[in-house]
Amino acid sequence: MLPLSLLNAAQNKPMLVELKNGETFNGHLVNCDNFMNITLREVYQTSAEGDKFWKLKECYIRGSTIKYLRVPDQLLDVVKEEQNRAREAGRSSRGGSGGSRGARGVSQRGGRGAVRGGPMRGARGRGRGA
Amino acid sequence: MLVVLRDGRKLHGVLRSYDQFANLVLEDTVERIYHQDVYAEMKRGLYLIRGENVVLLGEIDLDQEDDVPLKQVDWETLEPYHQKDIADKKARDELKANVLFEKRGFCKEGGEGDGY
Repeated sequence: MLPLSLLNAAQNKPMLVELKNGETFNGHLVNCDNFMNITLREVYQTSAEGDKFWKLKECYIRGSTIKYLRVPDQLLDVVKEEQNRAREAGRSSRGGSGGSRGARGVSQRGGRGAVRGGPMRGARGRGRGA
Repeated sequence: MLVVLRDGRKLHGVLRSYDQFANLVLEDTVERIYHQDVYAEMKRGLYLIRGENVVLLGEIDLDQEDDVPLKQVDWETLEPYHQKDIADKKARDELKANVLFEKRGFCKEGGEGDGY
């Protein structure tokens, strides 16, 4: 569970974003990307000194200006559970075919290494296989 | 884990995850402030910290943590002192920077003034 995948999982969740300049934004996450750029809706913006407040319908924050984000505690549990379910689903759907695929892999590797053998050839083959 | 941020904040929490940028996920985080030989903490919860802002990340020995010779007090009691410490340090640093600039020919610091 990488930090950015946690952020992705936090969509539609409330969060607090503090920028490097100390300003904070309270709102619900609408969307985010791999640069940590985010959009929030129903935002309360607070100045760095904590003395001024603004209410914004929606706002966009460039990822590079962010210091940290505070997200709901429960989010980590939710994400862990989702991940487990995804892993289980993946295992059961792969189930039977996994064995035969493995066997094919071994025979191919044996043939390449022992009979045809050239290193270039071997490397190319492995790339295509994966 | 103890995390120190560029703005001087000290966060204690459980490191749950990190990536190639040192972005961190900290669970059950508490923020600690210090003044002389006392400290106070405030519950903060789940943090996602952007790696750029991390100065230091260190593991805490929980056994040694038990005999730290500091006294814990209420956050409300300590916070004014902490704010004053910060303000004093800022004033001192500005004074120092001015002296260096005017008398010693140093350049003015262009960054955010936190030395990082």
